[in-house]
Amino acid sequence: MQDRIDIPQIIIIIFVLIMMITAWFANISITYFINDSLIRLVMNGVLVLSLIPMLNAGVGINYGLPIGVVAGLMGMCLAVNFNIKEGLGFILSFLFSIPIAVIFGYIYSMILNRVKGKEEITATFVGFSFIYLTSLFWSIAPFNNPSMLWPIGGEGMRPTIGLKPYFEKILNNLWVIEIQKIKIPLGMLFFYFGLCIFIKFFFKTKIGIASIAVGENETFAKLSGIDIPKIRTLAIILSTVIAALGICVYSQSYGFIELYDAPLMVAFSAASAILMGGGKEGKTKVTHAVIGTYLFQTIYILSAPIANELLLPEVAEIFRNIITNGVILYAILYKNQKNSSSI
Amino acid sequence: MIKIKNINKKFRDIEVLKSINIEVKEGEIHGIVGANGSGKTTLLNILFGHPNILKTGGYSGEIFINNLKSKISRPNDAIRLGIGMIHQEFAIIPEMTVAENIKIYRENTFKLTDKIFGKNLSYIDKSQNYIDTKSILKTFNIDLDPSLKVFNLSLNMKQFIEIAREIDRKDLKILLLDEPTAILNKEDTVSLISILKKLSKKGISIIYVSHKLDEVIALCERITVMRDGEIIKTYERQEFDSDNISENMMGYKVNKVINAQNREFKNILLKFNDFSVDIPGETVKNFNLDVYKGEIIGISGSYGRGNTALSWGIMGLHKTKGEIILNNKKLSNRNVSNILLNGIYMVPEDRRGAGLLLNHSVMENIIFTSLQMKNNFLMPYPFKLFSFINKQKSLDYSKKIIDQLNIKCSSALQKVNELSGGNQQKVCLARAITFDPEILFISEPTRGIDLGAKELILDMLISINKKKTTIIISSSEIDELKRICDRIIEV
Amino acid sequence: MRFYIKTKKIALQYNNIVPIVFFFLSLAGLYFSKMDISFVVNEVIVRFIRDGVMVLSLIIPITAGMGLNFAIIIGAICAQIGLLIILDFQIGGALGLCFAIIIGVIFAIFLGTLIGISLNRATGKEMIATIIMGFLATGIYQYIFLVGYGTFLPFHNNEIILSRGVGIRSMVDLSIFRNTMDKLWQVQIGSIQIPFFMILTVFAFALVIKYITGTKLGQEIKTVGYNHEKAELLGIDVYSVRIKAIIISTVTACIGQIIFIQNIGMLNVYTAHLNSDIFSCAALLAGGASIKKAKIRHAFLGIFLFHTLFIVSPQAGQNIFSNASIGEYFRSFIAYGAIAFALMTR
Repeated sequence: MQDRIDIPQIIIIIFVLIMMITAWFANISITYFINDSLIRLVMNGVLVLSLIPMLNAGVGINYGLPIGVVAGLMGMCLAVNFNIKEGLGFILSFLFSIPIAVIFGYIYSMILNRVKGKEEITATFVGFSFIYLTSLFWSIAPFNNPSMLWPIGGEGMRPTIGLKPYFEKILNNLWVIEIQKIKIPLGMLFFYFGLCIFIKFFFKTKIGIASIAVGENETFAKLSGIDIPKIRTLAIILSTVIAALGICVYSQSYGFIELYDAPLMVAFSAASAILMGGGKEGKTKVTHAVIGTYLFQTIYILSAPIANELLLPEVAEIFRNIITNGVILYAILYKNQKNSSSI
Repeated sequence: MIKIKNINKKFRDIEVLKSINIEVKEGEIHGIVGANGSGKTTLLNILFGHPNILKTGGYSGEIFINNLKSKISRPNDAIRLGIGMIHQEFAIIPEMTVAENIKIYRENTFKLTDKIFGKNLSYIDKSQNYIDTKSILKTFNIDLDPSLKVFNLSLNMKQFIEIAREIDRKDLKILLLDEPTAILNKEDTVSLISILKKLSKKGISIIYVSHKLDEVIALCERITVMRDGEIIKTYERQEFDSDNISENMMGYKVNKVINAQNREFKNILLKFNDFSVDIPGETVKNFNLDVYKGEIIGISGSYGRGNTALSWGIMGLHKTKGEIILNNKKLSNRNVSNILLNGIYMVPEDRRGAGLLLNHSVMENIIFTSLQMKNNFLMPYPFKLFSFINKQKSLDYSKKIIDQLNIKCSSALQKVNELSGGNQQKVCLARAITFDPEILFISEPTRGIDLGAKELILDMLISINKKKTTIIISSSEIDELKRICDRIIEV
Repeated sequence: MRFYIKTKKIALQYNNIVPIVFFFLSLAGLYFSKMDISFVVNEVIVRFIRDGVMVLSLIIPITAGMGLNFAIIIGAICAQIGLLIILDFQIGGALGLCFAIIIGVIFAIFLGTLIGISLNRATGKEMIATIIMGFLATGIYQYIFLVGYGTFLPFHNNEIILSRGVGIRSMVDLSIFRNTMDKLWQVQIGSIQIPFFMILTVFAFALVIKYITGTKLGQEIKTVGYNHEKAELLGIDVYSVRIKAIIISTVTACIGQIIFIQNIGMLNVYTAHLNSDIFSCAALLAGGASIKKAKIRHAFLGIFLFHTLFIVSPQAGQNIFSNASIGEYFRSFIAYGAIAFALMTR
């Protein structure tokens, strides 16, 4: 019942420490590590934050994250298609993706409200199938900016669209201050922590309190007159919208929009990160998401150079996979017990 | 045959069985009687190794079968020892046929595949099962096609299938029955009793739990009376006396809290017209009642037999028929928020499962409904939905009501989960008082609460009533209802 | 004594709709792809052999109420481990294949027990748990064969090791097993080739599954599937029944994967098993199974419907949109969508 630190968190923290020490001996520069980790925290962190509303409203982990991601991709593609560059392009990506995410989220919520008790598995497959449905869309989408289309034939979207002429690293490079070679991307951090505060405060409002109550005990909430489907729908839409923003932040930092089945597995690393941070159904805090993302990304950053040092570059990828899924499986097997309802 | 020595059982901090000792001889039919909540079913569940017993912390004490000390921790252990049980809720799989249900776990298999693959992987001989089932049903004078699926059958037929499954066992030594006649008519009851008598002649010991005293007297050789988890007395056949036994069952309690009797009420506040609620296992049919403003009504009936269905029905959480008239107006829009805004509030019987947010603080639990439905305790911002709580106001209020109701907690911010059962119930009531309803429905207000706290809760209900709240209590504790209600209705 | 029999409601169940939709989609695909019918039939027969046993392996866990067992992917991994070990020791022919099966099955029994025990902790969440288990097992398997061989595990066959001396090549040749089973009793009718032995093998596994559901164990599995709480009251050891169901499934999947790989003749060490779970589940559901009820006829019908659609859709996409990838995306959408649909329907 208490918010103790769990065994896997201890293991992960020890593991990260070992990696850091190894990195130290492998002469991986500290400044590189700090610079990269701050950027990666925000780059992936928004997607992780997007899981919180659904998790707290008792809908479970949003394995259907690709749905929000696709909304964000569509928003960015619209902005790029209209050839809008720089900050305005990025802001318009946000503005385009939000209404799309709201619509997608609403339809998605109708599905999830039908399948109470098995939301997670359904969300997984709705997400997977949605990726392929939108792949169909990408291959015939009526966009006309040639930099997004296949160079030959000029029809169908490219799998990766370079953002260099548009809004690559626009948020990364906002208000960067440099202290002794350490670059602090203030703009990016402001955006991220602003979103954190928004989510934190959302759960302090009347409706946020209601949604946490729904997540903890549905019958209780029902007896207090709360409209459960409405709250769940709201949480699902909110999650979807934040996920859409999340992929915009990710893409501008990465420098490419990745279409087709690239976001297929995006949900699992996000889920792993939030579980690593100690997130639980009905009581996930923003801090869980932040800590989890930071730990997860530290493993990500350090595993590649260490693997290279060992001359086995594929190991890094496999290793991340094992950790990602190991953490999720642990959470399923050891955190599955809900409150017993007997007297 | 079976000897129970010094059995104790606790659910959380409540003792539900206290040093139980019973001995049943070979071929004896032993009756156990007692009011609801006296621990009869818990005792049977311990003997049968019901999984809930282990989940709630097991029991202490010893069980001897044939003078051998036996450990029963799951139903499988009990079955191996030759114990069979007729469950009140039936352990029947409706999607399977009659034959499959009766022969379950003891199917006939082909000899040939027995030899090749062993018993477990041997092929089932369906026609032999069919014949066996047919003949066992014959002994009950039932002519039924064993290949029918059970969900097609009537309730009393299901009861006989449940019994047939146990009687068909060759190794049956002890049969436990939990209220087997609850759904049977007279004719069927008579035929069940004759079957049981035949079984006892074959040397099978029977433990028969019921609250129908006349039945038990007619059938049993000895009767044990239980009350509040204790054995009051064991009667031999020649001592049977229904007056004595029923007095034993009810017991005599100190009636401290007594409501002002003979109050008169004039104005009808709430009317149920032909009201029916359909909750699986808990139905109310064509219920009619006029509730007068300011009274306390008790709805009595055994737990799980419909007394709580009324409150769930009025909150619109289950399918209902008929109408409800509140203040001379038909209450048609029955979603919960509308009911609440009309001044009707319900405290459910399952406190931990439905009445509390266990991981939240006392304060959050107390203000929740008022906050959500009436926008009390909010900061005065224009958008109520996205408004924050007024923390100071909520805290001050919570402290006041915690003092007033004497809720024992370290602070208003302590998690409800850490409180005792009685204090949890007080938190539930505190939320009701904060909401200040016109009509309060409360179910099983004293279930699972120790004696001292019981009196406090009843006291509290009376004081809520004095502030003009009409109260409808559903309870299986008739004794308590008698003490505080203006009138009592049987469901 | 009286009793009442309620009249049985007759309703068109959704189970019938899915096969019908697949049937018409396949028909439309066949029409637009303009493919040769006998080519499609040959292909479907080949896929029936390759995928048949794998699809059958899903039936028992569904009967036990555990839903779609995505962890059959671990059975597939066991098969690949068996094959790789035999390749490493260079034992060819029927003997080698037998050894591969034996090693695979031993791994499958061990890992199946482990999966079963884990799933007993995840009642109600079995499906998501098995998916994650599949991912995790893939990671560990890739780690062992990509890093383990040549470092902490000794190897005996230079041919299958990467030139750097650590890790197994991503593609290994199975020529030493080639034609041990596939061409047995092959009959040619017109332009259609029918490998009778392999078809009979698949049927034999169907019979085994059918037999198991008719045994005492099968009856226990069914009871647990309908209601595990009542099953416990009836004396059935629910946990051990569930573990047995998963072991049967994993072992069957392992053998299914061996049939699949030896039929192809090449082993894609790190990717051959991927998607075996998704496509098998989709095929079973296409045949009209649900996540609560699955029968052998669903499996067989589903393989034919699903794989027909699978074979024709790229070409159909090419012909309609002059873009073959559309057909590929479409069939992936259908595979995942069929599972999503099955989960959405009660």
